[in-house]
Amino acid sequence: MTAVAGASPEFRRLRIPTGRVAAKRPGLAATVGGCLLALIALACIFVPIFWHYSAEAIVAPALQGPSLAHPFGTDTVGRDVFVRTFAGGRVDLAVIAIAVLVSAAIGSLLGVVAASSGRWVDAVVMRTADAIIAFPFMVLVLAIVLLVGTEATVWSLPPGLISLLAAIIVTDWAVYARLARGQTLSLRQRDFVTAARVLGFSSSRIVVRHLLPNVVSAVGAYMVTDAILAVVTTASLPFLGAGIQPPAPEWGVIMYGGATVLQTAWWITLLPGAVLAATAIALSLLADAVLAKIGGALR
Amino acid sequence: MAVQAAPAPPVTQRPRRRRRGVIAQVGVRLGQMVVVTFAVVVITFLLVHLVPGDPARSILGQRATPEAIAELHKQLHLNGSILTQFWTFLQHALTGDLGSSLVAGSLPVTSVVFPALRVTLAVIGCTAVISVAAGLAMGVTSGVSRSGVVDSGLRAIMMVLLATPPFLIGFLLLLFALQTGAAPAGGWGTGALDDVRYLWLPSIALSAYLAPVIARAARQSVQETLGQDFVEAAISRGLPTRTLVFRHVIPNSLLPVISLLGYNMGALIGGAVIIEAVFNLPGIGSALVSAVSARDYPVVQGAALVTAVLVILVNSLSDVAYQLADPRTRVQS
Repeated sequence: MTAVAGASPEFRRLRIPTGRVAAKRPGLAATVGGCLLALIALACIFVPIFWHYSAEAIVAPALQGPSLAHPFGTDTVGRDVFVRTFAGGRVDLAVIAIAVLVSAAIGSLLGVVAASSGRWVDAVVMRTADAIIAFPFMVLVLAIVLLVGTEATVWSLPPGLISLLAAIIVTDWAVYARLARGQTLSLRQRDFVTAARVLGFSSSRIVVRHLLPNVVSAVGAYMVTDAILAVVTTASLPFLGAGIQPPAPEWGVIMYGGATVLQTAWWITLLPGAVLAATAIALSLLADAVLAKIGGALR
Repeated sequence: MAVQAAPAPPVTQRPRRRRRGVIAQVGVRLGQMVVVTFAVVVITFLLVHLVPGDPARSILGQRATPEAIAELHKQLHLNGSILTQFWTFLQHALTGDLGSSLVAGSLPVTSVVFPALRVTLAVIGCTAVISVAAGLAMGVTSGVSRSGVVDSGLRAIMMVLLATPPFLIGFLLLLFALQTGAAPAGGWGTGALDDVRYLWLPSIALSAYLAPVIARAARQSVQETLGQDFVEAAISRGLPTRTLVFRHVIPNSLLPVISLLGYNMGALIGGAVIIEAVFNLPGIGSALVSAVSARDYPVVQGAALVTAVLVILVNSLSDVAYQLADPRTRVQS
């Protein structure tokens, strides 16, 4: 089957594309994507600190259109959507980072272990992964959020964060396990591994020095793509009554808050949506560039 | 003392590859399907059991009477050892009994899930038609085009569409529907023909995800086909470009595109869940949402199980169909 393109869940079938939009100019795509992402991240850090309104305060009449004082307008209770968008971005970007890193770590470890262990360990880990991948991602995430409950919270984290992270990690490790196992198995057949073995290197040295670095590069490439899935999931869940719970600012929460007044106050939903889309596009450009760079190795 | 010859190092032989017949291939695939389905049933069962605490207590609240909790335990089959519970769950699942809803007048889960699934499948079917048409048009144009501008432009559009969350596109379309009155702003019709009025807008929103996926695959597939000898032969025979594209390139590039539909079943159901919430369609997404907010565990379990089995079925069928249609893909083992 032809390796097909995709920055989304069909990627989960491990049809690794080999660079598309960025195929001709990976440098340019990476620069544009990286700068855009850095810009959004910096705005999320600094706007809530320096903006003259806070994300929780009611500062103006409700449903004011975009203006100089309120570039993204005000929401249904009169909070400043601009500062809420960037304060919410902190939550979204943190969820992406944590969920993707933890899933990747757990999944790669299990994948490498499955590939280098006996038949039974391999079978149990990989059939579990297959079954988790068979569930529609959103359906399993919803079920887990329901079971963990959105009330659970520690420290002063926004309610819903724990169940959201748990749901994404439980569903997401499986893809990394498949990827890491496949990489390990195919790497073991490669000449440089055979060479290392012939040279008499211990198998632990071969795993650590030769297999793992190559698995990490494939896993790292997928992480960028996976981040898109994570951010879209995080922002989608509030529409289903799950995910981060209002009034904590989060892109999905803000957008859902404006859904009922979409016709009169489009800015509440569409302007934070534009920031979300910009984040996804930046990640997509980065993912394409990364895949174009290491694509050959993944074939 | 005679020097003994060192034992020959074990020759690492690659396992002998042997070509399996089509029937055996299909058999292996179906066997895998059964194993994964079983794993899916186990996970669905464990969903309720892995969570710390008593699900009955979390459903009924802290002040529930012991009698009410015992009653709910019985209804959720939470009595006895975990193995007996699993055996009961498996028996019931195999006979198509997924329990009954905790709300909605104790309706059987199947009569909550299946009518909703019908709506979701209607959206997905409509999405598939739109996406294949739009995706092929974009992908083939982009793949055949010798103009860098057309190709880059189309690929940029595909990337933006693919990166934009479908629910955002759903909102834009909903706004468009509200402003122009071109389509009802959500809801569901009264009959099959009436339903189509409600279907097309959500389907376009979901196509914003699927169409670029298909377009990218089509583009790559067309370019690969264009590089093959028979195309060169056709060109050197002086075949007009139009005939070449429609008679030779498109049919030969179609197979991976069609199989993509099968592989994307899970992603499409997940996407439909969100789109349904945006357009207020009574599909599996809405059923899940109301079940989640009512803590209706059996319905959530049932919906997860039914959709996962559907995804496995569609994936396996598209694999088998692909193997039957294209002998080159038959895996040797």
